[in-house]
Amino acid sequence: MKKVLAVVLASMMVLSLAACGGDDKEETKAPETQAETQAEKDTEAPAETDGAAETDGAAETQAPAGDEAKGGDVNGDGKIIVGYISKNLTDPFHGPINTHAEETFDALVADGTIDEWTKILDGQTLPDVQINCANDCITKGCDYVFIAPAEAEASDPAVTQMAEAGIKVIVFNSKTTSTDDVAWLFSGSDDVEAGRMLARWVVEKCPDGGKFIHCNGILGNSAQIQRTQGMKEIMESDENKDKFEMVADEDTQWSGEKAATAAENALAQYGDELVAVICDNDDMSSAAQSAVNAAGRTDIVCVGVDGNRTPLEMVKAGELGATVLQNGVGQLQAGIDAMVDDINGKAPASKNVDVPFVLVTADNVDEYLK
Amino acid sequence: MAQKKEGKILGMERETFRQFMGKYGVSVVMLVMIIAIAIYNPRFLSGANMINVITQISINGMLAFGMCLCITIGGIDLTVGAQLALVGVIMGQTITNAGMPIFVGILIGVGVATLFGFINGFFIAKFNMFPFVVTLSMQLVIRGAAQVISGGKAITFGQAVKNMYYGKFIGIPYPILALLVVFVLMYIMFHWTKLGRYILAVGGNANAAVASGVSEFKIRVICHTLSGFLAGIGAVIMAAKTGSGQSNLGVGYETDAVAASVIGGTSFAGGIATMPGVLIGIFIVGFIYNGINMIGIDANWQSIIRGLVIIGTVMLDMAINGKSRK
Repeated sequence: MKKVLAVVLASMMVLSLAACGGDDKEETKAPETQAETQAEKDTEAPAETDGAAETDGAAETQAPAGDEAKGGDVNGDGKIIVGYISKNLTDPFHGPINTHAEETFDALVADGTIDEWTKILDGQTLPDVQINCANDCITKGCDYVFIAPAEAEASDPAVTQMAEAGIKVIVFNSKTTSTDDVAWLFSGSDDVEAGRMLARWVVEKCPDGGKFIHCNGILGNSAQIQRTQGMKEIMESDENKDKFEMVADEDTQWSGEKAATAAENALAQYGDELVAVICDNDDMSSAAQSAVNAAGRTDIVCVGVDGNRTPLEMVKAGELGATVLQNGVGQLQAGIDAMVDDINGKAPASKNVDVPFVLVTADNVDEYLK
Repeated sequence: MAQKKEGKILGMERETFRQFMGKYGVSVVMLVMIIAIAIYNPRFLSGANMINVITQISINGMLAFGMCLCITIGGIDLTVGAQLALVGVIMGQTITNAGMPIFVGILIGVGVATLFGFINGFFIAKFNMFPFVVTLSMQLVIRGAAQVISGGKAITFGQAVKNMYYGKFIGIPYPILALLVVFVLMYIMFHWTKLGRYILAVGGNANAAVASGVSEFKIRVICHTLSGFLAGIGAVIMAAKTGSGQSNLGVGYETDAVAASVIGGTSFAGGIATMPGVLIGIFIVGFIYNGINMIGIDANWQSIIRGLVIIGTVMLDMAINGKSRK
């Protein structure tokens, strides 16, 4: 009886692994035939496009079919394999990016631009897990790997290891320390500019000035440092430094709940003098706005960076004035576009792609709230 | 069943087979896993990937050996993840910021981790507090200490520190050598010395152990101190791997360490554990992570698969061994 159970369990395990990895196997079985059909496609119908246009830039991918179908085979094993190391699977900011990656890479496999991709590797926001994933990409024989680093410093070995193994590493969303030196491409947004946009919005909405508080992300994080820098640049400039006073610089660690508490405390302490809450992300600004709105102070200007769903919905409902949207999907897409160009024999124009932030207000919120 | 009538299974006497599976059942599970993953991606079995996996599991390996000791005496050590962060930032402050030799920085870092392990054991044994409560609280203290020491900032290490992870000795990465050395020492300590038998005795039946002259206090303190020490070693590997000391590293690492111990046959009821079993548990946890990436399992299912494979492994081992695991 026990042995029967053992056999049943063993076969269940094997089957469950089988069920999840099914389509990978198909691809590994037929690389030659795929290569042939791709070559045929190129010679006979160079301008052929297919129905993969549902994602933003995927339609362009087929356009300039080069002489060599395998232009992107960096390591020369006859296959183009793309790796994708996510920052995590749980953060609302990274969710849409991961979904976009899945759709786009599946479409690229389907139309033959690339042969395989690793599926989404879960970085768990842990730098050493990302390093493990990077090593897995190396052993899988990846030619291009996309990575959204969890940490500037501690995730850096993931990028350097892959670059040393000859992989074209595309770092997106945020930089690691040696990204400029070893990565093939960086696609991201200038966080200092995001900080300036936060401050400009507050200056515009509060022409008379007043007291404000600043809610930080986790201290030492590059986004926290740079957004704070940009924000201070404007708020402490000659024209604004007499009007505005930062009365608290809170260690709120990206947490909406902590930011709401900080806003309530500031409200209790400074009352009418408090005019704004500037936050390093918009989980915090939306929570802070909800807190001050509940206290009847809808006039207080709360603003943050990211463009997550809750703040966007609040902007639409008129509860939140504005939020600074970081176009994460755009950052990934810029990297994918560069890769597809490279596969087709067109080198990227620049190693640094800047994807601008967008100030989302009631006027343009419908564009971004999908 | 044909084998039953003959009294032989796979050419072995029935009793011999039972004993064989009792000892090595988990390794059969591991083999099944290896074969299953290799079918979907033959590259999984390549030498490069095997070295890759064993290097990856070295940190969890250190934690799991310590965790196994704490579980064996009927306790648990939830501080190991925080220890990774603390030792990292201490190494950062001493080596990078104060310019001390690497060796000294490691000594101080591992020393502090060992001290915290001792404090865990002391509280648990002296005041008869629940290990879960003590180590849960100490986890906060230790991570807090890491935040205070680092000021929340990342401290970068130079190439010399990184080489401890990425460097090789006759083609074998240092972390693998460290894992091997620790395994051999733990094996000798646990299976060949009096100390090992005392640990099993205290875990199995503390009153009986005390009645026969074993100091329960000493054994508990020793187990937690060793767990702290091993977490310190794991932290050195972590520091070398990430090239950075920061207070947010190692969050949640106790989970994988507990998983490896339990898969390896360590009983939460106390008094049952083997070091080869834990080593295989460590491998299985590593294979789960690596296998998921090698097969390319859908992202949102990965966590569920991980959990189910752990439960499945423990059940399979139970079914093979016909023993109860608690």
